[in-house]
Amino acid sequence: MMDMIILALEQVFTVATMIGLFVGVSAGMIVGALPGLSATMAVALLIPLTYSMGPIPGLVMLVSIYTAGIYGGSISAILLHTPGTPSSAATVLDGYEMTKQGRGLEAIGISTVASVFGGVFSGLALLFLAPPLSTISLKFSEPEFFLIAVFGLTIIASLAADSIVKGLLSGVFGLIVGLIGTDLLTGFPRFSFGITNMQSGISLVPAMIGLFSISQVLSQLETLRIAKKHEIGDIKGKLIPSWKNLKAIAPTVLFSSVIGLFVGMLPGAGGDIGSWVGYNEAKRFSKNPEKFGKGCIEGVAAPEAANNAVTGGALIPMFILGIPGSAVAAVLLGGLMIQGLVPGRALFTTHGVITYSVIIGLILANIVMGILGLLTAKHLIKVTNVPVVILMPAIVLFSIVGSYAINNNMFDVYVMFAFGVGGYLMKKTGFHPAPVVLAMILGPLAEGGLRRTLVMAKGNVFTYLLGRPISVTLMILIVIAIVSPIILDYRKKNSKKLKVENGVPEE
Amino acid sequence: MNKKKFLLLMVLALSLVMMAGCSANETEPSTNGETASETSNDESYPNKPISVIIAYSAGGNTDIAARILLPYVEEELGVPLNVINKPGGGGWTGWTEFLNAPKDGYTIGYINTPNLVTGYLNPEFNRDNSLDDFDLIANHVLDYGAIAVRADDERFKTIDDLIEYAKENQVTGTTTGYAGDDHIAQLRLNDSVGTDFVAVHQAGTSEMLAAVIGGHVDVFFDNVGSVTIAQENGELRALAVLAPERSKFLPDVPTLEEAGYPAIVTSSARGLAFAKGVDEEKVKIVTDAFVKALNNPEHIKRIEDLGYLVDSMSGEEYLNFLKSDEAGIIEIKDVLGW
Repeated sequence: MMDMIILALEQVFTVATMIGLFVGVSAGMIVGALPGLSATMAVALLIPLTYSMGPIPGLVMLVSIYTAGIYGGSISAILLHTPGTPSSAATVLDGYEMTKQGRGLEAIGISTVASVFGGVFSGLALLFLAPPLSTISLKFSEPEFFLIAVFGLTIIASLAADSIVKGLLSGVFGLIVGLIGTDLLTGFPRFSFGITNMQSGISLVPAMIGLFSISQVLSQLETLRIAKKHEIGDIKGKLIPSWKNLKAIAPTVLFSSVIGLFVGMLPGAGGDIGSWVGYNEAKRFSKNPEKFGKGCIEGVAAPEAANNAVTGGALIPMFILGIPGSAVAAVLLGGLMIQGLVPGRALFTTHGVITYSVIIGLILANIVMGILGLLTAKHLIKVTNVPVVILMPAIVLFSIVGSYAINNNMFDVYVMFAFGVGGYLMKKTGFHPAPVVLAMILGPLAEGGLRRTLVMAKGNVFTYLLGRPISVTLMILIVIAIVSPIILDYRKKNSKKLKVENGVPEE
Repeated sequence: MNKKKFLLLMVLALSLVMMAGCSANETEPSTNGETASETSNDESYPNKPISVIIAYSAGGNTDIAARILLPYVEEELGVPLNVINKPGGGGWTGWTEFLNAPKDGYTIGYINTPNLVTGYLNPEFNRDNSLDDFDLIANHVLDYGAIAVRADDERFKTIDDLIEYAKENQVTGTTTGYAGDDHIAQLRLNDSVGTDFVAVHQAGTSEMLAAVIGGHVDVFFDNVGSVTIAQENGELRALAVLAPERSKFLPDVPTLEEAGYPAIVTSSARGLAFAKGVDEEKVKIVTDAFVKALNNPEHIKRIEDLGYLVDSMSGEEYLNFLKSDEAGIIEIKDVLGW
């Protein structure tokens, strides 16, 4: 393996591959940062271009776009409250709060460090641990996917800023949207109203662009006539994270990277789910969870480390088993096949040099992306100074292009606008769009997982589930996730009472 | 100030480009099929790029194979062939698009069976389409059904072991979706041999493979292409092929008929077609070009490296093949509840 890695290094440091890498990283960052244009779209659009390139430069370019696109999405999430890709939806929560507090530059610094760490971490795991890790991913099947989805849904209550009821209502709305489409198990069209475009369901990306970007544009329009100065003050925060901050986020970043890696390995779960789970767990295990959502650095670091760790994780089962771990990896698989590279052990033996070159390319791309990010952050930040009258039409334009290009379908553009207006009305009435997106992602995963489990159990669902150790563990985790806040809340109230009774002053 | 003006100009320019793009699309349908074919000089057909609509996304199986084939066809026809991916609606977003395109011979599309056939046979969707809506060009890839189990599965060494067991016990099998070719294979086996296969419908081959290798689903019902690759990787063991004869990729694996069971043949196939109504002369020009390109040894080798079989049947033969596929589905209409 070592000699192949050395050969691969020679292949990576060629002019063609380096150009591919730099083009990929820059294009990925730009496309990722533009609200509306997603990483999946960028990879899908550029795949035909790689058909005529050599396998190493072409594939290195694609993985560079992938990881840089995921990172780029955090920039607009932090500065503009519009996630550039679905993977950065969770970053909006704390990132934009930091920007509002004038700490936008600091948030970008944190996001960059976390993204680079997550990306390099998963790249190294891909390089050294791919075969053993791919066997772990095989232990997960439908019952586990169902339980993971349920576990992810437990966060909805805590995502709602003001009211749990409103959070749950938003979540239910997202679940209902997820029901639209052809029933996978019976071929029956559900809630499609005879419209062909709705028979494959509501596409997530256009809906998400609408909910976050268009609704934000509409909110901004409200204040346009009131000649108010931009609510964001001067951006003063320090770009390079201080030693103290680095130490503060280190455990979160490491933990989220591991989460991202594992989520990435599961078929069908990508950066969007990884970042939510990362954010959720960081909040759950934090000593001061109440700081989350109010501009805390862990709230930026956790989803960003997780979503970049997904990239390497998603490639592990793809290389070894031909099972892509995320939507982008599925598109990448096409790029691999067109080069005549069929997934399997042969990728690490016969075609080892190509495979290792791509993995090393992925690790390098993360580092290059970090450097470029830190160098350009000072200029990127100026986007918040662009007058609303220019920025908003530009966001609308990119949202239209991005929604259309994902499936070359005008219907997706209508979906985007419908969700934009819906998201605006939700904001006006105190609902948050985040639970809708989360439920749209996890709902179909939970439904498919449960219904396939019922078939696979051959009639004995409970004994079937109890016979699967991973399922049992997940079920315990779900119970803890639901019960623990109630107990903690109860104990807090009790201890407060005790303290007051004992005359201890409240902190 | 200058910066602002520049930005504004950029935005304006971009929106103009977009508007131009949209209007170009809108004006196209107004040139009626008949008049278009009369005005454009027939002898010089084709004299502009031809659009190839693929009803599945970029990087998918259909897309990969198409992009390997099309450059060879471009050489024959002398005009570019532009792929347009139109995924959604189980393929019908793309198929509807190319059925509605002007019949001037500049839009062709991939048709995928059995998805196309089940899409109009399923009464829930109220479609009145049929094979008569298409002028067939030629088939491209033909992938017969195959049955496999985990490489280290002790229970089922041969297809007999599996079928005998499945007559007494419930056995789970993978499929690429309701009424897909794998599901049809299971239903037809249940119908004719009395087995009890239950379908675990999944989104695609990769999820199915994970479920069987991981030991979560008993039997891998898919196609020769994916089974061949998985067997080479030591992950699966092929038990039978659902084809009229043995596959050159799996020469040691019997057909279902050879193993002593009814001759059930299922396949996933994709080929090219025009929407009905295109000038016969043009159909012939394009068909000849495709058949030539399809039989180019370089093309055949690249497709076979991916584990697929090229079958360049055209005309009557292709139509009969599709009709027999359709008949196989109509046979189990009751089981599907249609």
